[in-house]
Amino acid sequence: MADPIVFGLQCVVVTPERALLDEKADFVALPLYDGELGVLPGRAPLVGQLGYGELRIRYGGRTSHYFIDGGFVQIRNDVITVLTGRAIKVEEIDITSAKETLLTAIRTIAITPEKQEALQKTQERARSQIRMVERLRQQG
Amino acid sequence: MAKTRAIVKRRKAIRNIRKITRTMELIAAARFKKALDRAVQADAYTRKIAELAADLSATVTNIQHPLLEKRAEVKNAVLLVLSSNRGLCGGYNTSILREATQRIAQMKQEHTNLKLELSGKRAIAYFRYQGARPDATYTKFEDRPAYNDVEEIANRYLELYTSGKVDRVDVAYMKFQNVARQAPVVETLLPLASLAPEPTKKIVEAKPQKTVEYEFLPDPQEILQVLLPESFKVRFFKCFLDSAVSEQIARRVTMKAATENADEMIKSISSEYNRARQAQITKEIAEVIGGAEALK
Repeated sequence: MADPIVFGLQCVVVTPERALLDEKADFVALPLYDGELGVLPGRAPLVGQLGYGELRIRYGGRTSHYFIDGGFVQIRNDVITVLTGRAIKVEEIDITSAKETLLTAIRTIAITPEKQEALQKTQERARSQIRMVERLRQQG
Repeated sequence: MAKTRAIVKRRKAIRNIRKITRTMELIAAARFKKALDRAVQADAYTRKIAELAADLSATVTNIQHPLLEKRAEVKNAVLLVLSSNRGLCGGYNTSILREATQRIAQMKQEHTNLKLELSGKRAIAYFRYQGARPDATYTKFEDRPAYNDVEEIANRYLELYTSGKVDRVDVAYMKFQNVARQAPVVETLLPLASLAPEPTKKIVEAKPQKTVEYEFLPDPQEILQVLLPESFKVRFFKCFLDSAVSEQIARRVTMKAATENADEMIKSISSEYNRARQAQITKEIAEVIGGAEALK
């Protein structure tokens, strides 16, 4: 017999510093390296590489938002494990420092292609943080 | 009179020192608890990375990655020494520095170009005295090393290693085995010895795990390319966490011993004081009696 069918997902977020989160979810959206991935209960097992962006966890009509920066995701038996270097709750994003980072990144002139790429990434990261905070403000 | 007064003064001084060592013991105990909590939480991450690596290695048959390849000739090496910023922690720094010095001597024999990097004021002071020139020093790592700071260093090492400027990265630190046991070690972190970092607590391997057919996004080979540097960073971070925990343990143990010694000293000085006082009284009585005798 197969495992008993249990509805719902379990979402676990761990960073190298601490186990951030372990809660139930109805739906989880993850920022994969090439775009967003939505996960509903009953998803096939998956191992994926994460990019930076928004992690959305919906449970019982409430959605919590996190900004995550790279890492990996493992989905198995409806347990989503997110391994990431940085995870910040959207309410805790420091928008002024994100804006500052963006500005300095825009102003800095890259000399090598690698530096150019790194700068580009920093900019996009900061933009994505700012976007998330602003969206949250509009909603609430 | 003079002697008893001196003894009282001395006992007071020891009492004061005992107060300080006792407080330091308590502080170290509290910090140790926190540091250990952090290390345990970090272990969850380590374990998951190990699990992922195991899943990946099940699918990818021939794993090849520059970080895994051992270089035939080690010309340039980095040695990072993790010591504490503060003293009063017994043999903690001494034993790390001893290990590090041994490794340096060994590298000198092998004619390896050494880049010495130091963390903690103790190591910096020691090597300055030895006349060694460190290539980089850090003093910001205390009992709560931040992942961001550690990652910065890790990235630099990865860069140096992949660009071929460095052929080996070693870290000298105090490895935390359990609460009663820490050992000073020099560990080679790059090239990576194995795919996965090993978690502190051995997971029971016996549980029959069904091999799950994973869907990989992107393909396993590419995930591995990203996972390996991550695995290095985790190991590297663990060194910092371990040394933070070990330092607090060492300090607690040392301060406990110091407090106990102070207690003993206070006891013996007290009895010495009592004896001196008694001697004084006896002497005074004898003088009074002697004086009375003389008046007769």
